This record gives sequence, structure tokens and C-alpha cells, in this order.
Amino acid sequence: MLTVLLVDDDPEFTDVACTIIEFLGHEVLTAANLAEARDWLNKETFDHVLLDFMLPDGSGAHLFDELDALPKRPRVTLITGHPSVKGIIKGLCGPNIDYLVKPIQREEIEAVLSGKKEQKKDKSGPKIKRHFGHLIGESTPMKELYKLIERVSRTSANVMLLGESGVGKEVVAAAIHAASDVEGPYIATNCGAFSKELIGSELFGHEKGAFTGAVGRKAGVFEQSENGTLFLDEITEMPIDMQPNLLRVLENKVVIRVGGTKTIPVSCRVVSATNRSMEEIAESKVLREDIYFRLAVFPITIPPLRDRKEDIPLLAMYFIEELNKENGTQFEWDQTQLDTLKAYDWPGNVRELRHFVHRAAIMSDPDTSDLELPKTIESPFAKKQSTTPALQAGRTIEDVEKELIYATLEKVNGNKTLAAEMLGISTKTLYNRLHAYGDLNKEE
Amino acid sequence: MTESELTLLSKHVHDARKPLNRISMQAELVKMALNGDVPTERAVEALDKIIASTKACSDSLTTMMTELSDSQPE
Ligand SMILES: Nc1ncnc2c1ncn2[C@@H]1O[C@H](COP(=O)(O)OP(=O)(O)OP(=O)(O)O)[C@@H](O)[C@H]1O
Ligand SMILES: [Mg+2]
Repeated sequence: MLTVLLVDDDPEFTDVACTIIEFLGHEVLTAANLAEARDWLNKETFDHVLLDFMLPDGSGAHLFDELDALPKRPRVTLITGHPSVKGIIKGLCGPNIDYLVKPIQREEIEAVLSGKKEQKKDKSGPKIKRHFGHLIGESTPMKELYKLIERVSRTSANVMLLGESGVGKEVVAAAIHAASDVEGPYIATNCGAFSKELIGSELFGHEKGAFTGAVGRKAGVFEQSENGTLFLDEITEMPIDMQPNLLRVLENKVVIRVGGTKTIPVSCRVVSATNRSMEEIAESKVLREDIYFRLAVFPITIPPLRDRKEDIPLLAMYFIEELNKENGTQFEWDQTQLDTLKAYDWPGNVRELRHFVHRAAIMSDPDTSDLELPKTIESPFAKKQSTTPALQAGRTIEDVEKELIYATLEKVNGNKTLAAEMLGISTKTLYNRLHAYGDLNKEE
Repeated sequence: MTESELTLLSKHVHDARKPLNRISMQAELVKMALNGDVPTERAVEALDKIIASTKACSDSLTTMMTELSDSQPE
């Protein structure tokens, strides 16, 4: 039960409003002007003040200082008779105040008193904030990340993004571009997805007739991202003998098309990404040291999802909202489900969570709002971790990864798309790995 | 419309809103009475007040028209 003070100069209005408020189980006292209201505030403690904006002896806003000075500040909802006053009130009292616009309905009174008004508002609007237009998460590690993005966006430094598969490297790259406020476009390419022959042309472009098949001339991605951002995904998958060419471009800040002679200035920020750790990069020699230092002027490691579990419910809610919008469904999580999701380690990170939410939505009855979760969150990663002795000390990560990939492929009868999904990696990454194991034909 | 006419108009609109707000509150009360949340007599009272408010609202609209046409130059 709340103790409510209703301040309004229309006795007929207060009379009915009191009946409603009392019916809702609260105690209510009334005042017809500022003087009476001040009187009550001296004598009683209130949980909530419903305050008319226009009173005979002045505006309700005059009470604000007095309300602030009280030992226990009541919540305040302003009542106004005119919608246009809403904007003025907002400017005057800040966004943290509720208001009711007359004519008022019973449900509205009920909502402000129970504090549900905000929730209702949120449902229709975008409740989950997307930082830099892309990133979801309010955990401390994510907030740290936002700080880094903000800092680096004010410079033109090249950024290397490190982090496990599915942590959101691609999204962070787009966020950096959005934060940078540059004129040029955001261009993304995957360094692991091209053959040795084609990667040069992809990066630097080619002139007509530069090689067999080069029918027209083509601008490379460096050229395309003029005054913008170039995202080089899976940089560590770039063929090692192509790397000197890349180094030259990064050092001289000019690019020459394959088969050409003209130098073209390079004016983009390069954001690169890899799911290998810094130690791995250092040890495995997949990336030349000089290139690493050119690309990782500002290295950013994106933490795995298990290190920022507070973000799991938020992401799960966001993904289900997206699916609801797409499919016209009304699915909602209940708290225990969110707790279950939070307890899981998500070795495939945000991508695995996203796919899991998608599967849950597919499995659930679209005519209800209940989501059905599979009994266990099945992931080949988790299984490996818990049951088989694959993780003996001394085995290399490459070995374990390879075994895992084959085990998964076996389970899904060689369906690579499905396997990639289960593994929580992109199909491209899976193809790259299989290539590296020498297990794919050229045409695949 | 001149500024003084606008002031006059907004004063009357304000006056006309008051009975409208009352009507909506009283209507809520009628709903509650139909639900058995408050005694039936309250509904009868409320409906009487609604009728009174509609008259008040209509009156203030009439006053507004009169005053506005009075303020027009001949
Ligand atoms: N913070 C985030 N907010 C919203 N969506 C996210 C976030 N992080 C990741 N995602 C989503 O998760 C999925 C995987 O993210 P992304 O492709 O960026 O991962 P990645 O780190 O590039 O993985 P890989 O190394 O396998 O390429 C995408 O669908 C992306 O939209
Ligand atoms: Mg990626």
C-alpha cells in the first residue's frame, strides 16, 4: 500500500481519482493548491505525489525544491491538461519524471502508481541499447570495450581485433566505423576466403589483362574504402607469401593494381580480425611480425561471452525480439530460462547463443508466447570439454580443433553448413580449416 | 487570427477541457460500478455528473463563439 498525495484544484476530478486510488488499495490525501500541499508534506510522509501542473496559486513545479529537501523524496507524477505542456515539463524536470495527460484513464493511474508505466513504454520502443548502433551488452568488460572504441575512433590508428570465434569481431569492426564519423564507406573482406591467385586482386585491384580471367579493370578493397574503413577478416589466414605486398601498402600508404604501374593513395583505417590469440600469432608464424605491428597499432581483445554473463539475457532478449519482429510472433523468455542460458558457458560465444535462440523459436508454438528450450544445450565444444580425454596437457590447440571438426562433421553426415553452425563458426572458417588440413577439393 | 484572439481561444479551450476530463473520470467510475467495484449508486451519480459536464462543455463552446465573434471588427 502506498500513501499518495493528490494535488489538483478540480474537486470533481480529485473525488473520482480518490475513489480509484483507494480501490487500488492505496491511501490518498488531497490538496487543492500549493499551500495545502505544503501543509500535508510537513505533516505526513508520502510515497507518491500526483501533482497538477497548473494550480491556482502557482505551478506545481514550485513544489520540486521542497520535495527534494524531504528526508524521503516521494515519486512524483505530474498531471497536465495539455499535451504540449509535456515537452515543457520534460525540459523543466528532466526525463526522470512521469506525467499523466488529462483525460486520464484508470489504467494510467494504476500504471504510474505501480511503477509499470516505464515497462509499458519500453515494450513498444527499443528497450535494448545498441552501442554505436551495433553492440549489445552492459557488462563491465563491454563498457571497457566501448571506451576503447570511442578512444580509437578519434584517431586514425589501425586496429586489430582478437577474440574467439563468435565473440563479435565483425560487429565491433562495424561499430568502430560507425563511431569514427568518416566520410568513406565500410568495406569488409575475408582474407581466408581467396586463393593465392585472387587475393592480390581482391586487395589491390587489377588492370585489364593482368592475368588470365582479368577481363576488366577492378578496384581493390583498399581503393574502395577511400576515406573509410577497411575490415580485413581472418587476417591470419592470409597466405604468407602475399604478406610482403600487404606490408608495402601499409608502409607506403599507396597501392598499385596488379598489372598496373600507377600508385593510388590509401586513406582508410584498417581494422583486422583473427580468432587466434596473441601468443598463438607469435608462436605459429601465421603473420609476419612487421605486419602485426602495422595492423595492431591498437589491438583490442574482445572477451568471450562466458566472461560477461550478464550480457547473456540481454542478448537473448534482443535476438528473440528480432525474431518476433521478423515472424510476427510474441515469444518471451521467462526468468528461469534466462538463468539456464546464463549458466551455460557458450564456447561458440554470441553466435552460438544466437543460433540457439533461433532454434528455440523454431521449436516453439508460434501461437503462444512460451519458448521451448531443448533439455540440454548441445554443443560439441562442451561435450569435448567434459567427456573425452581430448584435452590432455601437451596436445596442441590445432590438434584438438581438428579432431573436433571431424567429430562434428561425422555427426552431421558431412553437412558443412550444419557442422559450422554446431561448431559456432562461420562456414567460411570451416572451409578454411578443411583447406588447411588438405581435405577439400579446389572446386569446393 | 490575431494574438488576442488566440489567447481568448486557448482560454476557452482550457475551460472546455475541464468538463471533458471530468467526463472521462466519471466514465471510469461507471465502469467500476458495473464491475461491482463500487456501489451502484455511485454510477447513477456519475452519469448525472457526466450529463452536467456535457452541458458545461457545450456552454463554454458557445461562450467561446460569442466572444470570438464579438471581438471581430465590424
Ligand atoms: N555485442 C553484440 N551485440 C549484438 N550482436 C552480436 C554481438 N556480438 C556478436 N553478435 C552477433 O553474433 C554473431 C557472431 O558475431 P561475429 O560474426 O561478429 O563474430 P566473429 O567474432 O567475427 O566470429 P568469427 O571469428 O567466427 O568470424 C553475429 O550474428 C553478430 O551479429
Ligand atoms: Mg567474423
